[in-house]
Amino acid sequence: MSDTLALPRYNDAIIKKFVIATIFWGVVAFLVGVVIASQLAWPEMNLGLSFTNFGRLRPVHTSAAIFAFGGSALFGTSFYIVQRTCRVRLFGGEAIANFIFWGYQFFIVMAALSYVMGFSQGQEYAEPEWHLDLWLTVVWVTYAVVFIGTVLKREEPHIYVANWFFMAFILTIAVLHLGNNIAMPVSLFTAKSYNIASGVQNAMIQWWYGHNAVGFFLTAGFLGMMYYFIPKASGRPVYSYRISIVHFWSLVFMYIWAGPHHLHWTALPDWTQTLGMAFSIMLWMPSWGGMINGIMTLSGAWDKLRTDPGLRFSVTAVGFYGMATFEGPVMSIRDVNALSHYTDWGIGHVHSGALGWVAFITFGAMYYLVPVLWKREDLYSRKLASWHFWISTLGIVLYITSMWVAGIMQGLMWRAYDQFGFLQYSFAESVNAVHPYYVIRLLGGVLFLTGMLIMVYNLIMTVWSPSTDKRVTMPAGVALAGE
Amino acid sequence: MQVEAGDLVAGAMMLVFGLIGLMLASGATDNEMYVFGLSLTGFAAVFVVGLIKRHYDKAEMHARGEDWHV
Repeated sequence: MSDTLALPRYNDAIIKKFVIATIFWGVVAFLVGVVIASQLAWPEMNLGLSFTNFGRLRPVHTSAAIFAFGGSALFGTSFYIVQRTCRVRLFGGEAIANFIFWGYQFFIVMAALSYVMGFSQGQEYAEPEWHLDLWLTVVWVTYAVVFIGTVLKREEPHIYVANWFFMAFILTIAVLHLGNNIAMPVSLFTAKSYNIASGVQNAMIQWWYGHNAVGFFLTAGFLGMMYYFIPKASGRPVYSYRISIVHFWSLVFMYIWAGPHHLHWTALPDWTQTLGMAFSIMLWMPSWGGMINGIMTLSGAWDKLRTDPGLRFSVTAVGFYGMATFEGPVMSIRDVNALSHYTDWGIGHVHSGALGWVAFITFGAMYYLVPVLWKREDLYSRKLASWHFWISTLGIVLYITSMWVAGIMQGLMWRAYDQFGFLQYSFAESVNAVHPYYVIRLLGGVLFLTGMLIMVYNLIMTVWSPSTDKRVTMPAGVALAGE
Repeated sequence: MQVEAGDLVAGAMMLVFGLIGLMLASGATDNEMYVFGLSLTGFAAVFVVGLIKRHYDKAEMHARGEDWHV
């Protein structure tokens, strides 16, 4: 295929904006992560101020990582992919696309501001109060209209598999967001509300939302990215398109049931816990099918891992996806959960997914997109991108291994009894015992942030440096509907 | 020069959001709602300025015979 710059004009300005936002929020998310990791190791880092304490900064970190960094990456890549695989411009025009970008950024800033001011629903990953939830609903519905509208007006008969994953992500997140945030405000002029459900019902709805935020925001959307950028960067077709379809339908069917595994050993009925556990274990199949499909796409192009650092990020991300989706079902088994729940093992698990899968697949997409969007022949420095890869990988390894050790140690200390049947350790002793691992985790985070800053420099220089040649042809690729 | 339907829809949405923001700020019982209301109005106003600017930028390019694209 020899696409030239005379292709139909896509709305690339909106994608550039989202790429810049992704990189900016990545730095913010990792920086705040480093700050709160230092607070856990040394409580003096809370600075004695209400708006810098761990309780308020922690949701800033999670929201910045998931919704600001991850969300901006998903918006940008989905708009890039849907236009190219459907061979049409975005539906709705520039103004609506700009509203989606600025409206989403406004949501992120307002949400972060509300957290540091002390306003929160107190529900994980759903901290924003009712007025911000309504604003996000408006932005999200507009996003759905633009994305699905673009698919509907496509000039390509086939809907490429990446678009199926993006549509599942968009529609399911809309349902989850609305379902989990049905709340009664104290008044129209008060930023405080009470959820319609209480007690264990509230917990069940929250974790139906929370786990599917992982399943559809952090998995389905990024799988859409995987199914486009790995074939594109490797120049190989998807290993098995049939598996990708099976992957899609089995994943979306099973994920939605897995939430109750967050509530083992609680007041939730036993059968519900067992249901969540069973579906979590069943998820091994689609997750690993998809992982193998992603990795095997490199068949015949393994040599590119040596020369293309962006592709190296993408493929390593798929490896981490496999690892995290193996660990998750193990942790969902009720007896394993008795040891792992409420410990730092969970934090390690979530970061092997968030850093290894979500961030790495995003880095791969950014290294691919920046030269293409700003019409440069190549990155400013492949060597710097390699440094980024190895520093970040080392950071992840330090992070997750320290949290495994800390988590298992906590779980064992909390369940240890002496010969009289009393608890052997006080809670404070377990906090003291994990201090060295918290410092190692902080070091891992610093390395990951350092890698990110290297990427920022490399990408800025890719755009600005006179040493990067102007691109004259668009990248060739195979097996992509519409291209 | 014709106005795109998307521009009109976005402009109308900003009108509604700007007014809602003013109402929320005027009756706010806490800092959060006050800050959000004012920010929403500011967001709507700046967005409308952007719409107007882009409209005239496009018109000028059109008059010069250049093509507008993003």
